[in-house]
Amino acid sequence: MKGRLNAKIAIASAVVVTLALAATVGIVRFVLSTEYRAPERSDQTEQTPRVQAQQDEAAAKAKADREKPYIEESYRRFPVVGSRLAVWVLAQLHLLFAAFVLAVPLFALIIEFIGWLNGDKRYDELAHEFTKLLSVSLSLTATFGAFLLFMLVLLYPKFMNYLMHVFSPTFAPYVLLFFFEAFFLYTYYYGWGKFSPVTHLLLGLGLNIVGTAIMLIANSWLTFMTTPAGISESGAVISTWAAVRNYTWMPINIHRFIANVAFGGSVAAAYAAFKFLVAKTDEERAHYDWMGYIGNFVAICAFLPLPFAGYWLASEIYAYSQTLGITMMGGAFSWLFIIQAVLIGNLFLGANYYLWLGMGRVQASERFQGYIKFLLILIALCFAVWATPRSIIATVSETRAMGGGAHPQLGYLGVMSAKNTAVNILILTTFVSFLLYRRSGRTPTVAWAKLGNALQVAISLLAGSIVLFLGIYGYFVEASVRIGLSIPQVGSVLFAMIAVTAIDVLMYRNAKSLGETHWGRIHPVSQYVLIFLAVTFTWLMGLMGYVRSGLRQHWHVYGVVRDTSVDAFTPTLGYATRVVSVTVLLFFLLIGFVFWLASLSDHKKEQA
Amino acid sequence: MRVPVPLKILGFTVATTAFYTLVGQLVPQKEVHPPKDTTLEKEMASGELVKAGKEIMEGKGLCSPCHTIGKSGALPFPDLDGIGARAATRRPGLSAVDYLAQSLYDPNVYIVPGFNPGMPVINEPPIGLTDQEVLAVMAYLQSLGGQVTVTTESKVWPLASGSGAAPPAGRD
Repeated sequence: MKGRLNAKIAIASAVVVTLALAATVGIVRFVLSTEYRAPERSDQTEQTPRVQAQQDEAAAKAKADREKPYIEESYRRFPVVGSRLAVWVLAQLHLLFAAFVLAVPLFALIIEFIGWLNGDKRYDELAHEFTKLLSVSLSLTATFGAFLLFMLVLLYPKFMNYLMHVFSPTFAPYVLLFFFEAFFLYTYYYGWGKFSPVTHLLLGLGLNIVGTAIMLIANSWLTFMTTPAGISESGAVISTWAAVRNYTWMPINIHRFIANVAFGGSVAAAYAAFKFLVAKTDEERAHYDWMGYIGNFVAICAFLPLPFAGYWLASEIYAYSQTLGITMMGGAFSWLFIIQAVLIGNLFLGANYYLWLGMGRVQASERFQGYIKFLLILIALCFAVWATPRSIIATVSETRAMGGGAHPQLGYLGVMSAKNTAVNILILTTFVSFLLYRRSGRTPTVAWAKLGNALQVAISLLAGSIVLFLGIYGYFVEASVRIGLSIPQVGSVLFAMIAVTAIDVLMYRNAKSLGETHWGRIHPVSQYVLIFLAVTFTWLMGLMGYVRSGLRQHWHVYGVVRDTSVDAFTPTLGYATRVVSVTVLLFFLLIGFVFWLASLSDHKKEQA
Repeated sequence: MRVPVPLKILGFTVATTAFYTLVGQLVPQKEVHPPKDTTLEKEMASGELVKAGKEIMEGKGLCSPCHTIGKSGALPFPDLDGIGARAATRRPGLSAVDYLAQSLYDPNVYIVPGFNPGMPVINEPPIGLTDQEVLAVMAYLQSLGGQVTVTTESKVWPLASGSGAAPPAGRD
């Protein structure tokens, strides 16, 4: 019985197992038959709505890509600060270093030439010391220049494309000249004492010629933007040469050339002041006092004719477009010239103060010190006139009480007649200060000394009287006559400066010395005056660079290519002066680095 | 404590720069935006046209930096007070409208005695007023001592008499 039961169980188990196996195989087959298979592994492509849609999309995208039109971008945006500010700061830094690199070789060459003529080695050493500041400065100029170019192409592609359309023939010569500039500069600097003096002077001359040529080309681009020429009504170029030789090209060339020398001289004087203040020996102090004096002398000599070059530039702007001239002097930028007056007034005050302090290093200069207070009064008065605005900031009730924006009395000092008179007398006064300094410690020996003195006084007084008379006369004549009066005013001052200097040179030939000049024996405040002058010159360059460029207002190229960017508006003067200040501080940080590098070679010499 | 010289120089440089920045903040602050075109409606009352003309003169037209209204003395450019009446008698053969149109479209044909040329052509860049905007300016000028006769429909340039192209008749 038990055996039969076991057989039944075995048969039933076999059936169950067979059924279970069959079910498992069935399930497995079912699962395998419905497994997901990727289309690529499939023998046949399965067309579903989703796949079709994907294919359609891909085809549409490929078609759109093929047919995408080329649209030239007008502007790109520089992150955070915006394109205008980025280009503004870069351009200003590039121009400041470029001005320095162009100016220093000029007066280094002149000083070297004087040393070669009179055989005094001190001049040669001084010229070499000035040149030491150049090599790093040239690298920084080139770096900022390249950076500026990339930024312009990147941020203002359409406008740059237009400039290339007009000026493409000038680019290759520019780059080539830059190579020559590097060649002459490094040969001039590293070849010091290794070539014959004449060869070395010729290298310096080559450096100056090439540097000036570079400036002339770059000036054509920027002056074209303000006073375009050589193009058709639609802006197509007719003559590149006419575009180069536009209205303001030559005035800017002259103005920049003189301003660069003034700026370079002042920065070199600031270097000497820094070295004077950290000097450890009397010998070092004497050397750097002399260097500072020469640098400042160069700066002031160049500064005196600068307002005349400025007049010429302004008159060319007026000649090109009265609208542009009025925008500059009577419109959005009129108050900028009050800031300029403060800066130039400070330059005159600082330059005179340095000369007066400098008399302290010359024995027997006391006899001239009594004149200083009169000169100071004259400078302060002229400064006040020049800084007087035409219209006063006033409340509504104050404006009503005055009968307009101009003060009933002070308003008369805010017009061009008064300002031209003030600046001409400022120039004459500074010239007299220099003359007094020049005479300190010496007395003429020529028989006609009294006559010479009387002649000099008469010429100076006559020039001053002409300036004053024409200034007052300007109030009573029509505008067309008044504008022309500035020319005889300037002419009489220039004539007085040339005539008085000529008499002085002849009169003080073989002059008797009353005492020695003790270089290095000067109050340290004088060195801060030199630094003050350098900062003021730099700030002034920044400000005037702004007005030259900002004058175009909402035009990239005045009247031709309109600025349609978000930065097309003219910012407030407060904003502009903040930008100028930041740029000036950046420049002085970088030039401090140049000074430090230049002084490393001194340490090397000391250790040797 | 002795302050190192480079630090003193840095402080002095920052102070000098800060002083000039301060001077820059003390002068009047004005942002100048690019001028906007004025759209004039076809049916505009003369009062509205005059008002629009005044706005254009003070804005896009850039007239007010040069021309005063009601000032005397040694002015750089002619004062415009009473020009609405004076325009008719300035040049023989030209009506007030013709004279004003010529002064705006071809300003160097006639220069007011005692003044220098320099007025820009008003419908060309950089000022570039539209013909309609010029009409509004003319309406405003007529209102200064005269009667407003121009409308937005007026055709004032070129002059019907052809005098616009005539050479200068001398600076009378």
